This record gives sequence, C-alpha cells and structure tokens, in this order.
Amino acid sequence: MFAAASEDRRQWLKPLVRILREPLGALGIALVILMVGGAALADFLSAFEPNKISPRDRFQGPSLTHLLGTDQLGRDLFSRVLHGGRIALSVALFATAASLIIGIVLGLIAGYGPRWLDNLMILLFDSIKSFPTVMLALALVTLFGPSLTAVVVVVVLVNVPGYARIIRTQTLALKTSEFVTAAQSMGASTARILRHHIMPNVIGPLLILASMDIPVVIAIEAGMSFLGLGVRPPTPSWGAILNDGFTAIRDTPWIAIAGGLPIILTTLGFTFLGETLRDVFDPRLKARG
Amino acid sequence: MTQSRDFGVSRRSFLAAAGAFGAASVAVPRMALSQDGSVLTVRSYSDLQVLDPAFRLSLPEDDIIRSIFAPLLIPQAGDTWGWKAIAVDSIEQLDDVTVSFRLKDNIGFTDGFGQMTAEDVKFSIERMADPAMESPYAGDWATLKEVEVKDKLSGLIHLKNKFVPLWTTTLPTPASCILSKRAMEELGDKITTKPVAQSGQYLLADWQPKQKTILKRNPDWAHEPGGFDEIHIIPIEDPATAERGFEAGDLDYTWTSVSSLPRLKENPPAGSVVLEKPSLAYVWLGMNQDNEALKDIRIRRAIQHAIDRQTVVDAAYFGAASVGNGIIAPGLPGSRDSVAYDYDPDKARALLAEAGASNLFVTLDILNQSERLTAAQVIQANLADVGVTCEIKQNDSGTFWTLGSKDGEYFMNLQLLLQRFSMQPDPSWATVWFTPEQVGVWNWERFDNAEYKALHDQGLSESDEGKRDEIYRKMQGLMDESGCYVFLTHEVVGAIHRDTIVPGLKPNGESLLSEFKSA
Repeated sequence: MFAAASEDRRQWLKPLVRILREPLGALGIALVILMVGGAALADFLSAFEPNKISPRDRFQGPSLTHLLGTDQLGRDLFSRVLHGGRIALSVALFATAASLIIGIVLGLIAGYGPRWLDNLMILLFDSIKSFPTVMLALALVTLFGPSLTAVVVVVVLVNVPGYARIIRTQTLALKTSEFVTAAQSMGASTARILRHHIMPNVIGPLLILASMDIPVVIAIEAGMSFLGLGVRPPTPSWGAILNDGFTAIRDTPWIAIAGGLPIILTTLGFTFLGETLRDVFDPRLKARG
Repeated sequence: MTQSRDFGVSRRSFLAAAGAFGAASVAVPRMALSQDGSVLTVRSYSDLQVLDPAFRLSLPEDDIIRSIFAPLLIPQAGDTWGWKAIAVDSIEQLDDVTVSFRLKDNIGFTDGFGQMTAEDVKFSIERMADPAMESPYAGDWATLKEVEVKDKLSGLIHLKNKFVPLWTTTLPTPASCILSKRAMEELGDKITTKPVAQSGQYLLADWQPKQKTILKRNPDWAHEPGGFDEIHIIPIEDPATAERGFEAGDLDYTWTSVSSLPRLKENPPAGSVVLEKPSLAYVWLGMNQDNEALKDIRIRRAIQHAIDRQTVVDAAYFGAASVGNGIIAPGLPGSRDSVAYDYDPDKARALLAEAGASNLFVTLDILNQSERLTAAQVIQANLADVGVTCEIKQNDSGTFWTLGSKDGEYFMNLQLLLQRFSMQPDPSWATVWFTPEQVGVWNWERFDNAEYKALHDQGLSESDEGKRDEIYRKMQGLMDESGCYVFLTHEVVGAIHRDTIVPGLKPNGESLLSEFKSA
C-alpha cells in the first residue's frame, strides 16, 4: 500500500522534474510563482493603499519607501503593480477557463452532432474569428462601456472559436473509433460518451494550448486598459500604469518600467512554462515549432 | 541521407526577432516628412466628422474648412489679434450696422461650379443665420439683417444692430467661408465629409477615417499660395502620443500636452522649436442639472465645494497651468480672479447631508486623454472624501462629442463631465455656448437662465469695455450660482515644430494650416 502511494507520487513528480530540468521551464515556473505569489500576497506586501493619491509625493523615483517610485498622482507604484497583478491574473485565469469550458462544450457538440449543426457552428466560429480583436473590443466597449467584464467577454469571444475548432476536429476523428462504437452498442447515452470516452482523449493538448494563451490574455487586458477600454480608474492595472508612464516617459521612466516589466515577466513566464509543458507532454508538437 | 532545414517561425524565434527589430527601430532615427519641403505633416486632436462651416464640430475641422472653402477673412498669424483678407479685395465697416465687401476677381469653385460671386456670399452667410438651418453657429450672425448684392463681386452686409464681435469672432472664422450657392442647392443638404465646390488655397484630396486627411495645394488658386504641396493631417487624440510621434520624426508640428511643456522647454528635441502661448481655452467640471441625481442644487453646490481645484490643476498639468476662475481668459473683458465657491469638504458634506444624499453615486464622462484622466482621478478622490462614489467613463472623441446632444440618447444620463472649449478673442464667444438655445447642443449642463441670455444679448452690442467687463462677470456669477460648474483652468498652449518650417499660428497657438510655410 505504502509502496503504491510512493509510486504514485513519483509518477506525479516525474513531469515536474522534467520541467525543472529544462532551464526555460524552471525559469518559467519561477516567474509564474513570483507573479502569482506577488498578486496573491498583495495586501501583505503593499505598504501603501494602491489608490490613495498624494499629489505632494508625485513622480518620486524608486527608493526604500517607494520601491518602484510613485506616479503622477503620488500613488505607490509597487502597491499598484502588485494589485494590478491580481487583475491581470484573475482576468487571464477566469477568461481562459471560461473560454476552455465553452470551447470544449461547443467543440464536442459540433464534432459529435449532426452535419448541419457542425456546418452552422463552423460558420459561427469563423465569423467571430474573422473579427479583428481590437475592433471587437471597441465595439463591445462602445455598447457596454469599459469594464473588467468587457475585457473578459472580449477574451472569451476571441478564444472560444479556436478551442472549439480543435475539440471538434479531434471529436470527429474519435467519433468513429472502436471504443466509441463499442460504447454506443452497449447503449451508452450521448452525454456519457462525450463525457467519459471522448473528452478525456481530447482535452490534454487543449490544456497545453490554454496555458500558452494566458500571456496573450494578459496582453489583451493590459492593451485594453492602456487604451482606456479595460478596467475603470482608479483600479490598478498594468496597462493603465503603462499608460500613466507613457505620458512622462522621458522624465520619469520608472512608471512605464513599473507597468511594463510585470507584463514582460508574466508573459515570458507563462510562455516558457507552456512551451516546456508542450515539449514534455507532446514532443511531436515541438518538432513543428 | 539529406537533412532539410526548417525555416518556420517558432514563438521563440519570433520573440527574439521582434526584440531585435524593436531595438533597431529605436536606434535608427527616422527623417521628418517635410524635409523635401513639399509635404507638411501635422497632428490634429480629432478626426474630421463634418466639413460644413455651419455645423463644424472642432478646431481641426475649422482649420480644414477655411483651407478648402475660401473665407472672407482669416485670423492674422502672429502674436497680436487681427485679420487677413483671403477671398476679398476690400472689406470695410461703413457704419455700426453696414459692412461693404468686394471679392477677388478670380476665385473659382471646383467641380465646374464657376466663379465665386457676391450671390454666393449672400447665400453662405444667410444660410448660416437662417433659424431653419438650426446651425449651432447661427449666433455668429445673430444680428444679421441681410446681405445685399450690389454687383457680381460686391455687396453690403446689413446688421439689425451693432455687433461688437463681428471683426473678432465672426468674420475671421469659418462663419465667413463662402460656399457655392448652385452646388449647395444641387446638394440639397448639409456637407458631410465629402466637400462639394471647393475654393480655398488647398483642396481636400483624401480622407482616410481615423488615419489621415490629405490636403493638396489648389492649382487654380491665383493668389498667395499655400506653403506646401500637401498637408497630411494625422488624427491623434492623446497629445502625449503625438509628442512621441514628433520625437520619432513622424510629425512636423503638434500641440503638446501642457504637462510636457516644462520638460520640452528645458530639453527640446534636436532640430525643433518649442512654443508656449497664452490660451483662450477653458476647462471645467460640468453637472447636468436635469439629471435626476443632480436636480437638487444643494448636491451640485456640495460638489463645487468638494473639488480642490488647485490640486486638480497641479496634478493634471504638472504645475504648468494655473487655476482659472471662469470661462473668459485673462486679458479679455469679463475675466475674473475668483469664483463664488471655495474648497470646503466640510461644507460639502453638510450640504449633502441636508439634501439627504447619502451614498451618492455619480458618473464622470471624460475624453480619453492623459491630462483629463489625471484630473478626473483627483476629482474622483475629492468626491470620495465627502462620501460620493464617482465612476470615471473614458470616451473616444467620436463618442464624447455627442454625449450631451439632444439628438442622442445619452444626454439625460449624463451626470458629471470634464469639458474643454476653445474660444475666439471675444467674451461673447465663451458665453454663447451656455445660453438657453444651446441646451442640448453645446450646453450639456442644461443650464437655462433667462437673465444670462439677456446679458449675453446686451454684451453683443455694448462697446464700452468697462460695461462689457461688468456684464460678463455677472454672467459667470450666474453660472457659479447654478451649481452646474466648477471652473478649473485656462491652460496654456504648448506646441512643437521642426525648425525647417514656420508655423502659422493665432496668438493663442491655434494653427492656421494655410499660413504654414517652409523656413
């Protein structure tokens, strides 16, 4: 019994060890832990309230009091970056998870359902996909106003067609396989076949793809906030901090650095992690670049 | 066995290449577009939306309109206010109510609409003044009686009564742009973004929405020619973005943000000239008095007392601008040095309590610009301090400039707005936008005061400086009393241009594209 549990743990640790053996994988995990940890512990690590303005302290350079300096309203940038991380990561995780769930469901329906429904859904996916992301964001923000919800909706709309198409293709391939035919002949319901026989076989590559999409989502959120289409002021967001810094980049570059650095580090972290995950779990994809 | 090499682009190689490309683009400076002397590239703060002189929406449109439709006069470029004749050979005030003019002999309209005549002058001016047209600029010709045509090129402008701002804020503006009567009658509607029968020093050659407007020198213009073969006008809303564009060599001239002026003056980019001009503009926080949440004057007064104007202005303009006390800039009749409300959060809280407005929630609409956003966040913090929750709504220019229009659907939901108007060098040009006729046009606070209107009319025909000063001060006092306004600043105007050009600018720094020349 004890030996079996120990074997299980080793099985579980094996991929982790393989990821950590890859230099980029280790760096990716370290960066992700750093950013996620910083966001999670923002309340404990921040010495200042992130939205508290103090005009007398504006444009202070990095110091022991203000580790990343202050912005044009005298707000502590370190606190804003940490709290901005919460926004970026929660949007990324929530929107990616929502996209995955919707994408999987729609992909399974398209792949396993009747031909006409498949054609209709493909038309829908392609229509959505053909919309440029910025245009879509602008249209939604014009309709509903800038907000965190708008950012999430944009991300979900942008990501769902891609995920659904992958699931659909794999479902089509598995639909006629022997184990599915066997399950059908044993009277398994469609829902059971999709849940127990097809989904476990198609979800793996999608999870890797989703982990690699997280930096894209973070960039979308930051981009929309930079343009004033994302979270509403004074809520801290990396894109909004970058925009604040952009105004005075020649004299006070630390504001733009404070906004840009976490975007770069998080993007690199998730990209390295995603690529290493892909290399470890699906070496065939590595060959394709 | 042969080995094939994979030339596909991986994410890693893309990141590496993008990084290298970015570094290279920073390292290699680009050349200014006007260095061949034929193309001038300037920034405008908004894209064009309408080219009809009677329905223009913004200063950049004014500049394009007076370049493509010859006006009788334009403002004189330089440091003193005056005018310069464009379409007229002569123009003269004969008495208080009569102006004579004679057009230049050979100004033609494009598209085969023939020569510009005094009939076209009559049509254009009377069209703008016609109440049926509902032009927001009808006030420019409010005292017009008629335009009398004497012969093909000459005529008389008859006024109903004396109109003091005629030579400062009516004739040298697009209100004197001449349209072809025949072309307009054939069009049967107002001009949108496609001009008909152009006649100016430049012609509109191309408009790519949100990207570029191209003016080309009019080959048939037989008088003082425009300074460049082409003028490219790039709409960039945010001045900070425009400054980056200038520094990158993509622009030859741009307004800068006020907040950047100290830095740019101290350390101007190579080959450039930084200008600082006194501004006639005015910036204020407005409150829609017809909105349900703001109907109680005690709430509006509370908001007036809640705002620390000095901090708002210091934060937004980094100390480069001072606090303003009204809509009339220093140096003009009616300019004030104080307002009727002071910064008093305790008084604000007391007024809110008296009005029973606990947990008040308001929205603040702003144009999506760095300075406005900074100012809005200080206002938001000031309001939070007295217990009012304020949500900032950033709008692009296309949306923002229609928010309070009675033709839209949003105007009754509009609550607070951060607004900036530019003006001409006469106080009536500031006060006209807040008259009852302008409610739902440009008067988005829906301030409706009969005494204010009467004073405005009185000011138009009063030529005594002292009396005008008293009239316009009183009008701003009425605005204070309404609780609808928190006056913030008149700003200053900052501009930067290449030393290879000589910009044509009004004394307040506004551009006159047709007056730009090569150095």
